[in-house]
Amino acid sequence: MQRIILHIDMNSYFASVEQQANPFLRGKPIGITGKDQIRSVVATASIEAKKLGVKTAMSTWEAKKICPSLILWPGDPEKYSDIMHRFNAIYREFTPHIEPFSVDESFLDITEEAEDYFGATYIAQMIRSRLKEELGDHITASIGIAPNKLMAKLACETVKPSGLTVVQSDDVIDLLNRCNLTDLCGIGPRIHARLNTLGIKTFQELRAFPLEDLQREFKSYGLWLHEASHGRDLSQGVTSDIQDIKSYGHSYTLPQNTTDPVILKRYLFGLADKVGWRMRRDGVVARRVTAHVRFGNFTNHSEQRTFNEPTADGKNLFEVAWSILRPHLKSDVRLVGLSASLLCQNPSQPSLFKKERNMQSVLCALDTLQHRYGSGVWKRASTLPIEFKPRSSGFHFDHEV
Amino acid sequence: MHEVLNDPIDVTVAFKDNRVFPRAIRWNERDYKIDTVNLVHTAREGQKRMFYFSVSDTTNYFKLKLDPEILEWRLVELYTDG
Repeated sequence: MQRIILHIDMNSYFASVEQQANPFLRGKPIGITGKDQIRSVVATASIEAKKLGVKTAMSTWEAKKICPSLILWPGDPEKYSDIMHRFNAIYREFTPHIEPFSVDESFLDITEEAEDYFGATYIAQMIRSRLKEELGDHITASIGIAPNKLMAKLACETVKPSGLTVVQSDDVIDLLNRCNLTDLCGIGPRIHARLNTLGIKTFQELRAFPLEDLQREFKSYGLWLHEASHGRDLSQGVTSDIQDIKSYGHSYTLPQNTTDPVILKRYLFGLADKVGWRMRRDGVVARRVTAHVRFGNFTNHSEQRTFNEPTADGKNLFEVAWSILRPHLKSDVRLVGLSASLLCQNPSQPSLFKKERNMQSVLCALDTLQHRYGSGVWKRASTLPIEFKPRSSGFHFDHEV
Repeated sequence: MHEVLNDPIDVTVAFKDNRVFPRAIRWNERDYKIDTVNLVHTAREGQKRMFYFSVSDTTNYFKLKLDPEILEWRLVELYTDG
């Protein structure tokens, strides 16, 4: 049976939410940044800012250089998270088959509800109307309707902002022929460059390229490229299943670059405690820590270490991460981060060692406090001098850190 | 000008259709009449759910925070046009 998939993408999401909240930002070029605007990037540019050349992920100084009238506005992740839950609730009024793709994008399978493309267009308009009613005039969405997720997303991208594009099966080849290779989700700059070296610059050329040669060059991805060039999507349909979390991590851009090991340790320890809290909250422990550092010259170093005794204690995670990073901290550091992976369920069996049992009891009590009163209710003495400012970016918002 | 604040304020509200609408605020011994409620959102602080009202008059944008457990209002953001 031919599926009917909706792809809904909120337009300049964070900026639109701020323009909805604050009428004095409407019609103006604004860029949503982190709390520290000097060392931040533009997480989202408003439609007006995009027209003036400001792009997402551009550094704030570069954005200001391009657009001196740009208003830099600190992001409010809790607000975006709340609005995200509200528009997802609106989608659920129309279908239970919803797959969030990012913080502001979702796929909806409305095959049964719509029955045909006329019905799908009607549902899309109804969703638009409900969004306006619930969230206001300024938080708008672009919608693409097509037989699969890949084509629905591509259709959605073709008319922005606030477009509604319907691409039926017979029209997918025509849509692809009008698009650049990089317009398709899944063809990034590297794949694009490799396709170009094979003499492939358009979807027509990709379709004509022998599948065997594509597979020789791209291995299994060759088949995906071949199918995509025909408007077919090899991914599974819209799935509402939440995928298992593979890792927990945090990174942070420091207020100033530094080589001071005491400052770096404090930030890394604070991040490790955030990671540890989230893992304990979700009842998992980790056997691998990956530590990450970005230097002042924007080079990076990342390294991981696997250990036998699984843990969710921020102190243990910090000690592993610090032992990884310490030998490499010879020049100015801009960002530090760590993640914990190789996860398994937290064993309910208490440790054999009294010291560890005591520490588990302390952490359990601290977690109860944090659950009741929120983040910031406790801090290790060694991390008291530092403060983590909230950021606006990130797919899975997690504010209980 | 954009200011981040945390000042306790008095708020006059209307209740309509099971919703709360701030109508006027008193801050720094001055009264401000609210023209529009632009957006309402919530955020958790531990197990508490705080309500935020983004409201405006002809020249100011105010972000108000309501703690429903103790019925306390605070002005947390102010943006003045121009």
